Formats: sequence, structure tokens, C-alpha cells
Amino acid sequence: MGDKKLFKRTLISAALALGFTVTNTASAYDWLMMQGTEPAAASVPAHVFGFVQAGFMKDYSSANATGNVYVPPKLLGPNLDAQSGFNISHAQVGVRGTGFPLDDHINYFVLMEAGNTGLNNTSTGKSGPVMTDASVTLNYIKGARVRVGLFKTPGSDEGMQSTIATTYMDFSEVTNQLLLERFPNAVYTGNILPQTQAQLQASGQPLNGFAKPVGGFRDSGVQVFDSFDMGKDWSLTYAAMIGQGSGIELNNLDGKYDTYLYLATEKNLASTGPANGLKFYVWSQSGQRLADVTNDTVANPQLYKRDRSGFGVDYMARPYRVSFEYISADGMIFEGPDKPSYTFVSTNGSTAKANGWYLDGGWYVPNTKWELDARYDTVDLNTGATDEHTFTKTTLGVQYNFNPKAHVTLNYELRDFKCTASTTACTNANKNLSGVGNKIGMQVTTAF
Amino acid sequence: MPNIFRSIIFVMTSLFMMSVATPALSAGETTFADYKYVLQISDMDPSKQVLVLNNAANLLDAYPPGAVTVEIVAYGPGLRLLFANNIHAKRIDSLSQSGVRFSACNNTLQGMTKQLGYKPKLNPDAVVVPGGVVRIGDLERKGYVYIRP
Repeated sequence: MGDKKLFKRTLISAALALGFTVTNTASAYDWLMMQGTEPAAASVPAHVFGFVQAGFMKDYSSANATGNVYVPPKLLGPNLDAQSGFNISHAQVGVRGTGFPLDDHINYFVLMEAGNTGLNNTSTGKSGPVMTDASVTLNYIKGARVRVGLFKTPGSDEGMQSTIATTYMDFSEVTNQLLLERFPNAVYTGNILPQTQAQLQASGQPLNGFAKPVGGFRDSGVQVFDSFDMGKDWSLTYAAMIGQGSGIELNNLDGKYDTYLYLATEKNLASTGPANGLKFYVWSQSGQRLADVTNDTVANPQLYKRDRSGFGVDYMARPYRVSFEYISADGMIFEGPDKPSYTFVSTNGSTAKANGWYLDGGWYVPNTKWELDARYDTVDLNTGATDEHTFTKTTLGVQYNFNPKAHVTLNYELRDFKCTASTTACTNANKNLSGVGNKIGMQVTTAF
Repeated sequence: MPNIFRSIIFVMTSLFMMSVATPALSAGETTFADYKYVLQISDMDPSKQVLVLNNAANLLDAYPPGAVTVEIVAYGPGLRLLFANNIHAKRIDSLSQSGVRFSACNNTLQGMTKQLGYKPKLNPDAVVVPGGVVRIGDLERKGYVYIRP
């Protein structure tokens, strides 16, 4: 390998590892290693880093003509009380490094979230900053690094990616519905009816019935992982994790543990441009959740399986990039923030199935700081049930990269949400979903 | 004593003193390059590791082949650059093959050995010198241009 080629690769890998210096859209990054390790013999005792993401969104959905009421997809999260407004979707501060820099065997990662997100905005109100990550990695065994604590679980690329790498203001629907986990309340909580504007403006009428924070693609537990150089610029990364299945909440009420498996192989093309590469990955998550889906006053939660799996590919060869991921789900299908006990009108989401995928592409306009993006995503919820739903979204994006650590994003979402079964349940559901309109938003993201 | 003998003794004594005071470069280190640079890396900051390697690469690029000699002297926290597992090890090897010399301070090495409880493994391209600062001084006296990125 020539020195210049090696120089580029080294510079990029070192820069990335030293502080999420991920520039705008990221494809083919090895998130597992970037977030769980520090560069050997080149780390610092404490590297302070963080992200701020602020933006404005407007939802053009119309109210259900019957009753002039709104359902959650027609409102902006996480508050779910308005159709336009400014929000701080992320305000994160973290510290990472190697406490004793002479010894590379141990590194740590801590991150706090102070933005207005599903991580700290629940049916019980908005809480203060929350700890989203706190982990220690032990690098004593070659080929089997051990990470302990709270951190992002090995899985979907969209879930694992860093805040600075996000191209779109909203997650794809398949990721939002199937992977951004909402945890059932301890006891049955009835569905929240669609709300009028007056009800939304009044206090005590939240459309989010979940008392616990969203999972944030995180869990607490122990992970064994590493990455191997396979030669010819190919690498192989694996991870196996056991977690509590409780997201950022440190509890294990059900006494059960989730298992996470991840395998990826990547062709490093960094010599041809920053972050260029080709990555194939496959993953699975398997666990159980306690849910009380019985509409009574008795606390009778039962265990339901929650399995997720997926595979995907990322390809980045500037000025082009493309990503595809397919995700399937069995059990604990989220039915909406207004249905906190996972119960739709006729479907118990706790036993339902779902699947979906997204295709995302981008073009970096040569010799400019502009980037054009487009993503199509779709998810089929409650597959085969009497109220099977399909949420489809096309997101068009324009991004201007001020510098490698700051960009502004303009998004326009075209949404088609519908209940697809020929049933009364779907007829009623579509009265609310037919008015789901498009969304537009602008957001500034910076990292430090 | 004839003046000629006095002069010979004076010259020989001076040469002996110089040889004691200034360790000579070994045969493998002898350079006939027109341009000579010694680069210091002693910082904890990892970005300095990248910078000093960039400096070395740029110096090689700036002169015709064989016209420049570059030596990187690492001591203090900067010695981590020459740890065997350093993230830049491949690049160091590449630069070494291009002629860049890497010197590791033995004083620092001994100190780190005491802190760690074991001797850190160094990059095989690194040559241990008694002292990093002394090495820089020696090279400056040999006409090397001192650079601290």
C-alpha cells in the first residue's frame, strides 16, 4: 500500500475514532468499533464531545372531518400537541477516552441527552437530562473485547449511526415503528382517543400514553465484539450481547435477558474518499417483554416475545452513496403512542408481526458543499391481521455542509399511511389516516 | 616540544573530547543528505501524532529522493507514537521504509515501564536511544534542523 493511500486511511480512521468526526451522511462506517473502542496508543484521558440539533417542522395533515380530531401521525413528536414548531431534537454532551493513556486495555464512553426527545419526554411529562450511554470496554482478549454498561446495541445501521451522521430529521418508518422501542406501562392503560385542537392545547390530554422513555436503540448489558483485518482492505466485525431489554432504564423487571447478534463485513475504500466503503451486515435481537394487554383493573402482565432481525448494505463512493436495509419483527409491535398497551382496535400488537425496508441514496454535488438525498421506506404492521397497516414515506432532502462538523438539512416528507385490510377496523382507522399529509422541516446539526 | 607535535596532540585531544561529548551517529545513521530534519513528538495530544507523521511525509515529498534525512524523536507522552500497537503503526512502517528514522527515548521507556509494571512493546522500526532530548541536541549539533510540530 502506498504511503499516501495509507496516510489517508490512517488519518480518516484516527479522526473518526477520536471524536465522531463523521462528516454529514455516513455510509459504511463501523459504528460498533467507533463507539466501543479508542484508537490504540493515540487516545486521551478525556475527550469531550457532543451534538446539538435544532430545527423547525411543519405537518400539513388535516384533522378527521368527523369530530375534527387529530391522531399522533398528524402531530409533531415528542410533544404530540402541535403541527408546527421549533424543537431541540438533540443536545448531547459526552466524554470518552482512556483513563490511563499508557494502558490501552480499558476505555470508557459516557453520553448525556438534554434535548427534547422521546428519551426524556413521556406521558408523565418532560424530565431533565438523561444518561443514554455509560460503558467501559475491556480490551484484554484479542478478538474478544468486552463492553459493559449502557450503550447502543448491535443492530440496524440506522439505529447505530451517530447523530452527526443523520441525513434526515425523522427516522424511516420501519425503524421508528419496529426498532425505536416503546415499553408498555406496568398495568393496562387504555387507548387515548384522537384529540381536538382544544383538547391538545389543554393540559392533561397527551397523545403519548407511554410512561417510560423510548429505548433509543440502547440497552444495558455486556457485549463481546471485535473487528478483524481480512486482507485486501476487507474487515470482519462481530458482536454478541446479552442485555436486560430495558432501553436506557436500568432495570430487569421481567427477569429475562435479550440476546443480540451482529455480523458485518466491510470493504474499506477510504483511499478513494472519506468514508468510502462497502458494508454488508446482518443482525438479530431476541427477547421477551412484560405487557398487560387485558382491559381490566387487575395487574396481570404476561411475557411476550420480541424478536427483531435484519440485513442491509451500505455503499459509499463519492459523490454517490446508497443504503438498503430490510427488517422483520415478531412480537411487541408498536401500535402508536396513543396505544400504550400495544392494543389496536382488534389486534394485540404484543403477538403481531411486521416487516419493512428502506432504500436511501445520496449525491454529493461535486465541488460544492451541497448534498441531495432521497429515501423511500415502508413498513407493514400487524401483518395478516384485521387491521394490517402500511406506512410508506418518501423523504427528499437537501443538505448544505458548512464544514465537516456542521450542516443544515431541509427535508420534505411525502407520506401515505393506511390500513390495508378490508375490515371495519380498517375503515374506521382510515378515517383518521386518510388525512395524514406531508411534512417539511429544516434542521441545523453541529458536533464538537 | 615542537609546535607540530603540540598541534597534533591538541587536534587528537579535541577529537577525543568531541567523540566523548557527542555520540557519533552509527554507520547506518550516517547521512550525506543535503537537508536534515529532526522532528520532536512529546505531546499527549493524538493529533500531534498525525501532524508529526504528516511533517515527515511532506519533507520526503519536498526534496528529491536521497536529498533529505528525517528523524522523529519520541519521548514523554509522545513515545506512545512508537508503541507497537499504535494506530499509525502501518504508516510508521511505510515511512521507515522510505528512510524516516524513529528514535524512542529510553528514559521515558524506563519510566513507563515502572508505571505499567511491564515494558511496553515498541514498534520494530523504533531505535531506542538513551535520551530523547539528548538525541535531539546531538542531531542539532550535526546540522539537523529542529522542528516541533
